[in-house]
Amino acid sequence: MKKIYIIAIVALLAAPVFAQSNYTSLQYSIGFGTGDMKDFIGQTSFRGFTIDYRSMVRSDLGVGLDMGWNVFYEEMEDAVYEYNNITYSGKQWHYSNHFPILLAVDYYKETSGKLTPYAGFGLGTMYSLQNTDMGTYTFERDAWHFAIRPELGVLINVSPGLDLTILGKYYYGLKAGDLPAQGYFALNLGFVFGQF
Amino acid sequence: MKRGFKFLLFTAALALLWGCYPQGPDYAEEMDVVLTTHNDEYDFTSKATYARPNRIVKITGNLEDGEDPEFIPDPYATKILKMIDDNMAALGWTKIDVAANPDLFLFPASWETTTVFYWYDYWGWWYGGYYPGWGYGGYYPPYYMYSSYTTASVMMTLIDPDVVGGNGNPLPQWTGVINGLLTGVFDETRVETAIDKAFTISPYLNTK
Repeated sequence: MKKIYIIAIVALLAAPVFAQSNYTSLQYSIGFGTGDMKDFIGQTSFRGFTIDYRSMVRSDLGVGLDMGWNVFYEEMEDAVYEYNNITYSGKQWHYSNHFPILLAVDYYKETSGKLTPYAGFGLGTMYSLQNTDMGTYTFERDAWHFAIRPELGVLINVSPGLDLTILGKYYYGLKAGDLPAQGYFALNLGFVFGQF
Repeated sequence: MKRGFKFLLFTAALALLWGCYPQGPDYAEEMDVVLTTHNDEYDFTSKATYARPNRIVKITGNLEDGEDPEFIPDPYATKILKMIDDNMAALGWTKIDVAANPDLFLFPASWETTTVFYWYDYWGWWYGGYYPGWGYGGYYPPYYMYSSYTTASVMMTLIDPDVVGGNGNPLPQWTGVINGLLTGVFDETRVETAIDKAFTISPYLNTK
């Protein structure tokens, strides 16, 4: 695992040396929880953003950094919860914040038109912070996960140096710290600034 | 220009995201919480009677030797005790005098907790207005703001005088706690709802 990190970091650091160009992308992100994440909060998240940076090491290959924030929220109904022989009742508010920080590689299919489809993979960490609020109390759990992230998207060229993008990413953080594995699908829409 | 647009877009996205961060409860009663715990090896169904004091002690945490404890005002205590008695009766319990050898004692208690949080321009005391562009120059002593909230809890404990722990003290067989945000008025409905719920989620207390 350590080797993978080192290779990824070296690739990222070396990228600008070979880079023909680079781009930055700002994206609005909608999140859909899966697995344990969905069990905790079933609602779709409409609060999220992603910042991507890619350095083009080849005309069809970009490496860079992927950072973001998605916050999931759900107001639970007044319900009864049991833990051992303790029973508690009341409303709960669930919050789940996720901050992925990943090294990323994207492959771009070269086309002659305005659309450039691409596929990518990311590897890194994701910080998750979950709160269960009840009354004036909050129960907090957090973890730094080892995270992976496949990605599919398309760039739509608007003008030289400016593209729109629509993409899907699936973030998956392995079980860590206080938390089980955390996974969510993100549907992103954004602007891309830079040259390919 | 493009860099400025990017920065503006990024700032706007952050501000928008922060501005719509979910805020949780809208009303005080949404924050009412009920908690119960019990000894699951204790057989409540073989018991039938209980006794309780006529006042609700207020736990202040600063009682010194020789001092009398504080009690919550009688008008409120009377209502709360009636709510408790009604629930106990509905579960088949009979309230008797303490001298009549009851199966269980019910001890009610209450307490309040105030949480104060504050923030201020803690550097203001030092620069004292040398840098008026910083915003709070001229305020001395420091300009600060604070906020607070107070929660109240009522605890009900059922004790069997014949079941004692290693130190000779009786052990609680059931405890119910209701906790809520104080709003400045005694909201009978909120209290009654919470007390009813404490008994509803404790079906093992039913002796019928």
